[in-house]
Amino acid sequence: MTLRSLSRLPGTSLVLAALVLATACGKRPPALATATPGETDAARDRAGRIPEGPLPEGPDLRPIEGEGTSGTDIPGGGYPGEGGPLADIHFEYDSAALSDLARAVLEKHALWLQGQRDASVLIEGHCDERGTVEYNLALGEQRARATREYLLGLGVDPARLRVVSYGKERPLDPGGDDAARAKNRRAHFSMAR
Amino acid sequence: MRPLPRPQEPQPVEQIVIGGATPRFAVPECVPRRNDEASQAACRTLTQVLRSDLRFENLFQFVPDSLMGAIPPLDPQAPRFDDWKGIGAKILVATQAEVVNGEQTVELRVYFVDSGQRMLQRRYAGRAVNPRSFAHQASDDIMTLTQYKGVARTRIAFVSDRDATKERRSKELYIVDYDGFNPRRVTVNGSLNILPAWRPDGAALAYVSYRQGTPVVYLAKIFEGQSVANLSGERADSQAFSPSFSPDGKSLAFASNRSGSTDVWVAGADGSQPRRLTTTQAKDTAPCFSPTGNEIAFTSDRSGTPQLWLMDDAGLNVRRLTVASGNYNDGCAWSPAKQHSEIAYTARLEAGGFDIAVIDLATRQVRQITQGRGSCEYPSWAPNGRHLAFSCERNRRWEITVADREGRSFQTLATGPGNNVQPDWGP
Repeated sequence: MTLRSLSRLPGTSLVLAALVLATACGKRPPALATATPGETDAARDRAGRIPEGPLPEGPDLRPIEGEGTSGTDIPGGGYPGEGGPLADIHFEYDSAALSDLARAVLEKHALWLQGQRDASVLIEGHCDERGTVEYNLALGEQRARATREYLLGLGVDPARLRVVSYGKERPLDPGGDDAARAKNRRAHFSMAR
Repeated sequence: MRPLPRPQEPQPVEQIVIGGATPRFAVPECVPRRNDEASQAACRTLTQVLRSDLRFENLFQFVPDSLMGAIPPLDPQAPRFDDWKGIGAKILVATQAEVVNGEQTVELRVYFVDSGQRMLQRRYAGRAVNPRSFAHQASDDIMTLTQYKGVARTRIAFVSDRDATKERRSKELYIVDYDGFNPRRVTVNGSLNILPAWRPDGAALAYVSYRQGTPVVYLAKIFEGQSVANLSGERADSQAFSPSFSPDGKSLAFASNRSGSTDVWVAGADGSQPRRLTTTQAKDTAPCFSPTGNEIAFTSDRSGTPQLWLMDDAGLNVRRLTVASGNYNDGCAWSPAKQHSEIAYTARLEAGGFDIAVIDLATRQVRQITQGRGSCEYPSWAPNGRHLAFSCERNRRWEITVADREGRSFQTLATGPGNNVQPDWGP
């Protein structure tokens, strides 16, 4: 890589000198690189080819409206994620186990869904910020999936329930105290489009 | 401008061998070839950035400015070596620059002071859009005289919420030079775009975006302004995270839940022929390749807590890596250095916060890189394995931090506003 870019420096219509790379145990045989005429130099590459400012995204990528999910919050709740017909359920730290309270809430959700035959729901798994990015994405997935499986057990049509993990990427309450964290460890329900 | 004499590189040349006495560099101020302000400004930037680049690797000593000011000014093409010898310089880095019609030219000459031998002579020309890039190129060329590859031209991809609004809590991808300068935005879609992973050729980034609802892997071709969606071929009801290319750029590892639980998968770099490598019901995620590409480290909670595990690239020979260090380990980054066999990761070594740790694969000894710097996570190696980038939260703000592999020196990169996380150090 280094020798190749060096060979593209301007004015190098010469054979680049062998750079004998010394190593701790001895010297390797010299490597030769010849200049290729007509190629732009590495400095020009870096200064000129990389566009300044935003690197454009292709036209196939359009900003999606709203919060970047394919769902919208269930109407009727006050604070998003609280109240409403499909209220959030909550989890213990680093756990995807459903508490008795969460199960009771999900039983109400199943009843509500029986009365809303055309509603498809996206189950979002969220985590608090006390964990790593990647593990929390897997944990959020596990929370959403545990929630989905419980609803399936209550007779909800599998085709109506999809899961998505947000890990710790989109906390409900960024407060950072215990109360905020408890709110953030949740499964949230949004209407799928 | 008069052309440079056809360089007659002496060969074989002497080498700057790192390991014995620390080489003592003199990097006097760049000499402008013209008197105009543009050329002088180019020289000022070149001097400042080149010195900073050369200092970064902690491999050299430097003759202080005060001593260089005490000898007659440098003639870059015919230095009086006795003067430089007199102030203790072993290696003299002479630079000249000029700017003509927005076109910048830099000349670099590196001499061994004792022998008067010219080690290196280079001329760089280009549009003066980013004047720092000339110094970065010169620094990396000087590093070719050592046994280490320089990183001054490398870039770091990361995630920031700097362009988020109250209504749209977006995270987008950005790229900065290795020193935190020159930030550029990569994605513009107002959604969540996270977990950037350089393709080894430096022309593309794999990342995870929620722009179509569920998170899947995208490939951003950063020079073409194009993106490939759903690289791993997720179904409508599955999702993928944690993309990571093999060092040869031919394979892509990622985590997917398409089998019913989160597992590590490997596919071709274009997403072809995906293979499931882990089969537990536990959470298996965050894969990273060894420098040979034959092994993969990953995170699994199959033992009860998240820990790092190793397996070969067929998913066999699975064994636990982190045993004694912390009850929560994640986010492996396998050192690319030939000299060291080690993996950096995020560890909860004490209750509460997270720190960056490195485990030596031969001895299994763990050294803690960060301590008392707030919560730090998501390490990524410089391409030569001599530094780590990661993100730390201090005063409720996340910023990209760079440390050497021993955890002795730290610098916070001034990449810009917002929370700046998930750095991936690229070529």
